[in-house]
Amino acid sequence: METSITERDTVTVVAIRGSVDSLNAEQLTTAFAVPIQAGRTRLVADFGAVTYTSSAGLRSLLATVKDCRRLGGDLRIAALQPQVERVLSISGFTSIIKIFSDCEGAVESFRAAT
Amino acid sequence: MTPPAVLAPAVSLVIGSGSVKCAAALGVMKVLSEAGIAIDRVVGCSAGALFASLVALKYDTVSAIDITLQTWTKDLTSKPSRIGYLRLLAPKIFGFKPDNFALRDDSSMLERLHSVFGDRRIEDTPIPLHITATDFATGDLVEITRGRIVDGIRASLALPLAFSPVRLDGRLLVDGYLADPLPLSVAMKHGSGVIVGVGFESPYQENITSAGRFAFQLSAILANNLLKSKLAFHGMAHHSEVIMILPDFKQRIRLFDTAKVPYIVEQGEQAALQQLPYLRELLAVEQAAPRAAAA
Repeated sequence: METSITERDTVTVVAIRGSVDSLNAEQLTTAFAVPIQAGRTRLVADFGAVTYTSSAGLRSLLATVKDCRRLGGDLRIAALQPQVERVLSISGFTSIIKIFSDCEGAVESFRAAT
Repeated sequence: MTPPAVLAPAVSLVIGSGSVKCAAALGVMKVLSEAGIAIDRVVGCSAGALFASLVALKYDTVSAIDITLQTWTKDLTSKPSRIGYLRLLAPKIFGFKPDNFALRDDSSMLERLHSVFGDRRIEDTPIPLHITATDFATGDLVEITRGRIVDGIRASLALPLAFSPVRLDGRLLVDGYLADPLPLSVAMKHGSGVIVGVGFESPYQENITSAGRFAFQLSAILANNLLKSKLAFHGMAHHSEVIMILPDFKQRIRLFDTAKVPYIVEQGEQAALQQLPYLRELLAVEQAAPRAAAA
């Protein structure tokens, strides 16, 4: 799994590539923690290149969304591939995390709130 | 000093409710077997209990498919229970009791289960077997780990209204899906590490033209919401990994689409193959971890 971070005004986009699972969930949590610790709690996880996520990956997302919301921000997910969206849906995640069809929409949703 | 024996990598297999779709677990079993990954425990719920029992008894895939084709046919539920309908219409006159209420006759089902499993017992299976049902009085999940396999499967398959509840060890039991359509908790409670869960969402009705279909729709809504909430909790609570196998059926699978069993098994196999590279890597890490800690 690889991550890259870009900043779009007040929003930080974490683009993820590959499989999100227990072998790299800590790495993902750390990637999210970097902007959060810098006070940037409006995060978009770009899942466009994520091919798989396991329960460990979901635990990382949950920990991050809780941290963001506790600090007044949010974690939003964009561009889910169908097989990953199915895992998120059947695990109840789509009911607690805002999902967007593309990254631009997710970034824009934060702007609309300001 | 003799080095410690190297154990084969192993997973626990949990097969959820899902009627004939549960046959997908046979495809998963085939992939695991061919990859040299052992199953250290198997849990089954509702129709999943039938396939979990076949896995626990170490049937090979071909024999298990053959048994499914012979066992899971439409006439399993085709015989109505006349007394059941009378009890529905005039409960006081015909002596309605939770123990005896069913609209379908279960004699055909019991006969077939007997022909496959005879008097074999849950506690004697080569792979530890856990069958789940639901306590009718409390709604609690009940784990059946002793007794005849036939009785365990029959209790787990006690589909409300269709088949009567089963009394086992003093408790009245109904279909396991009512407590948890994918009972990962059983494997977790017994200390399983990597869990492979084979789960299915209940299909929604296309045309609701009868009270029966209306009831099926309500049941599907409840079961699917329960599946999601339980899966969310168990996924968060488990210390290791839950690998979900969610076969993607392009064809609609009805309750007794027995002819589609080879297709269903193939879809289970394909879904398992997609997870295999990660599973291998994960098990290699899990196996190395205790040795590294002990070193």
